[in-house]
Amino acid sequence: MGVLDAGALAGVAALASGGLLSAVNGRLRVGLAVQGAGMTLLGVVGVAVLTSGELLGAAFRSTISPTLGLDPLSGFFLAVLAITAVPTLLFARDSLPGSPGARAIGALTAGFLLALVGVLAARDVTSFLAFWELMTLVPAAAILAARREGSVRSAVYAYLAITHLGGAAVWIALLTLAHHGAIGDPSALAAAGSGAQTLVAIAALIGFGTKAGLIPLHSWLPRAHPVAPAHLSALMSGVMIKIALYGLIRVEFQWLGATPRWLGIALLAIGLLSSLGGVLWALMQHELKRLLAYHSIENVGIITLGLGASLLFADAHQPAWAAIAFAAALLHVANHAIFKALLFLGAGAFQRAVGSLELDRLGGLLRRMPWAGGAFLVGAIAIAGLPPLNGFASEWLTLQSLLHVALRAPLGVALAAGTALAGLAATAALALLCFVKVVGLVLLGQPRRPESARAVDPPLEMRAGMAVLAALCVLLGVVPGLVVPTLAGLAPGAHGGLARGVAISIPGTGSFPALALAIGLFALTALLVRLRGSHRSAPSPVWACGQPVVAALGWTSAAFTKPLRLVLEVIMRPQREIDVVRSGGIVQSVTYSADVSSRVDALMVEPTVRGGLRAAAVARRLQSGNVRTYAAYLLALVAGLLVLVRIGVLG
Amino acid sequence: MNVIAAVVQLAAIAIAPILPGAIQTLKARLQGRRGTSPLQPYRTLARLWRKSAVDPEGTGIIYRLAPPLAAACLLLALAICPVAGHSGAFGLGNDALVLVGLLALARFALAAAAWDTGSGFALMGAARDLTIAVFGEALLMLALLVAALPAHSTDLRAMVTAAGGEHIWAAPAHWCGAIAFALVILVETGRQPIDNPDTHLELTMIHEGPLLEYAGRDLAYLLWSAAARHWIVIVLGASLFLPHAGGFAASLGLLALELAALCGAFALVETTQAKMRILRVPALLGVGATIALVGLGTWIAGIGT
Repeated sequence: MGVLDAGALAGVAALASGGLLSAVNGRLRVGLAVQGAGMTLLGVVGVAVLTSGELLGAAFRSTISPTLGLDPLSGFFLAVLAITAVPTLLFARDSLPGSPGARAIGALTAGFLLALVGVLAARDVTSFLAFWELMTLVPAAAILAARREGSVRSAVYAYLAITHLGGAAVWIALLTLAHHGAIGDPSALAAAGSGAQTLVAIAALIGFGTKAGLIPLHSWLPRAHPVAPAHLSALMSGVMIKIALYGLIRVEFQWLGATPRWLGIALLAIGLLSSLGGVLWALMQHELKRLLAYHSIENVGIITLGLGASLLFADAHQPAWAAIAFAAALLHVANHAIFKALLFLGAGAFQRAVGSLELDRLGGLLRRMPWAGGAFLVGAIAIAGLPPLNGFASEWLTLQSLLHVALRAPLGVALAAGTALAGLAATAALALLCFVKVVGLVLLGQPRRPESARAVDPPLEMRAGMAVLAALCVLLGVVPGLVVPTLAGLAPGAHGGLARGVAISIPGTGSFPALALAIGLFALTALLVRLRGSHRSAPSPVWACGQPVVAALGWTSAAFTKPLRLVLEVIMRPQREIDVVRSGGIVQSVTYSADVSSRVDALMVEPTVRGGLRAAAVARRLQSGNVRTYAAYLLALVAGLLVLVRIGVLG
Repeated sequence: MNVIAAVVQLAAIAIAPILPGAIQTLKARLQGRRGTSPLQPYRTLARLWRKSAVDPEGTGIIYRLAPPLAAACLLLALAICPVAGHSGAFGLGNDALVLVGLLALARFALAAAAWDTGSGFALMGAARDLTIAVFGEALLMLALLVAALPAHSTDLRAMVTAAGGEHIWAAPAHWCGAIAFALVILVETGRQPIDNPDTHLELTMIHEGPLLEYAGRDLAYLLWSAAARHWIVIVLGASLFLPHAGGFAASLGLLALELAALCGAFALVETTQAKMRILRVPALLGVGATIALVGLGTWIAGIGT
């Protein structure tokens, strides 16, 4: 038994015992610390497996006896899980104690992390599906342990219903693969023929796509993620939906045999729909955690665009670029895990300090909570895809990949890639608009409510958790070139070739020297600040062309996005109701409500739910409660089976 | 050669303000006014440099940091943007998409500063600017894609070099890219018919709105940044889509002529076109994006290549 095996086992043991310890009265903080230690160990093992390229434990097999192991791709996702989970657990040590159901949530957090590790380490279909279902169920239990309101329960119900319906497709894909002996063996499915390949490809797309929150299968995500406690939201948005992408990569990239071209185009289309749709609906949200949840859909879409580009490059026999596009997707997986966890933790800190996450009720928090606010600002700039932070590095790689697909592909593929490129550019600009709004409403200006004016920074460990994640955003932003070659090496059919260095220099691009840009930006800004000098005139009120700036006239979330809502009226279909009550010519009261409902919910989910309920009503008639009726059903079943056997359909 | 190119790029820091100045002068002449001198932006900058800045009450570090940060972004962008196909070895690369990212960061800084003041007019301008930028970015990316077709690269030096020669004019993609990029210049510089740089009515301001609260050297940085934005997109447009000359000196001379011609063209557009309704702008940019996609299609189909 090697060092790494021992490390992995010790990590899992620490995680499990930390979970048990969390459930003990008064030991919650210790339990979370032990969980963090376990995750650190597992992360180290993941990095070791990723960099050494060795296999740990068993390899993939199509048997049903449970086996566990790690390969470099699992190692990468394990490392992402660890660098997100450790700061999150640190945060939870201060945020969780004292909240309702704290001990249960602490224990379930360990269960959730174990399930995530289990999915990554599963080497056979039985353990994969078992951990997969646990990964869905445990956070649902944790949410219910934290909150009992009816609206939360209905959100959890929608989450379980949609992900289980979609999850059925995961079972179909994996059981078909196992049936053909194709888990870990790409040649087996190729031998089984294109029918089986198509079935597996589509089933995996639906199943993993549902869990990843890809549009149009995303409806559960903006309901479930906001109602969870902050550290669980961070893990769900940061890591859980990425684990679905891990499954997608396993099936579509590794086990499918030959990947058809339509799959690449389909991934581009779904990725474009998800990234644009996710960010557009995020813009229309006025509650911070809901907004962040919609942004997860956007970022999963961006990752899917990178994966689609990679498939199209592989189809065009350009392995070097296929590896770069694959690395772009994986880098965005890591980046999004980091900054989304940071933003959700920030939301948790604001919730604790102010008691509300309605955007229009916050404001001025950067000055009052410099630590939490500053870290949140870093996360916002990163998710908006701006240099010099990590979001820009992966978006630059994804944009380059799409652009180079368009430069070299046949006509139809080139036009698809060109459209996706324009869509991704628009997505980045929309994300910028959205996070300018968030930063402005939450952090800047004057407090809009007295609660915000009294806000103070959270305790030390909550600040530390956020600071670590913010530092990672900066680090991955300035030296992405050290990580990208390793990630490119994980692509199927890759054979090195990408130079490792601080700058990302790829032939066919003008090179992206992230560190030099960051230093230049910092040095020039400092120089210009110095040149400007510190001489200021006496303080004066905001001029605003002579208008008084008062809170009642302050700009709101809805106002800032109004131009976009007007321009895209055809797509968004905003509804607005103004109710003015007059009596005797004097306005007594005005009520105003506005909403931009989800088109997918209206066009797809609601009719499905209605149809399901109607079908259930019909099926209910079979249940008469009369024993003789049930005996008749049994008799009819036996007779039917006998008839089938007689005519030779069965047996 | 590298050193000369670097000097030319650094000279752009000083030359850039003449572009908006020249457009204003030419526009005044076309409208039958005498107008200001093309050097007026320099006088404005000098005047502002002597004045003290103002920090409105309640604003914080973001408001104070935005002008230097925006100017720093534009300085880096100037170093990345080659002049006449040559660029000094600044160690920053010459990638078109990095340039786009830097311009976006400058936009973010200014819009965040508008939130810090809480001034309604500043926010109105910022909201409109960012909304138009959504469509502008998509169009810019497609125009760059079309421009990258001959070179198979997003290295701006290679793109400029590959856009030289006579055979490129046989490709419809080149013409389509030129039309798309002309719209990009209108968006990025904030000129009519998309925005009106001369407006004095706060309700119609887009780019000018977030500048309302600033004064002194802060405002000088922001006005210089706007001029540098003019320089970058107009020089890029000329280098990528207008005829080239052989040597470096000859190309510099030709570039100067082309810049003058483009300034005249924009003055003419500003004189003849009224500012369009803001809700119409996305449709105009959508037409541009379609033209760019058609250009991409013709190139891939091998027409004229």
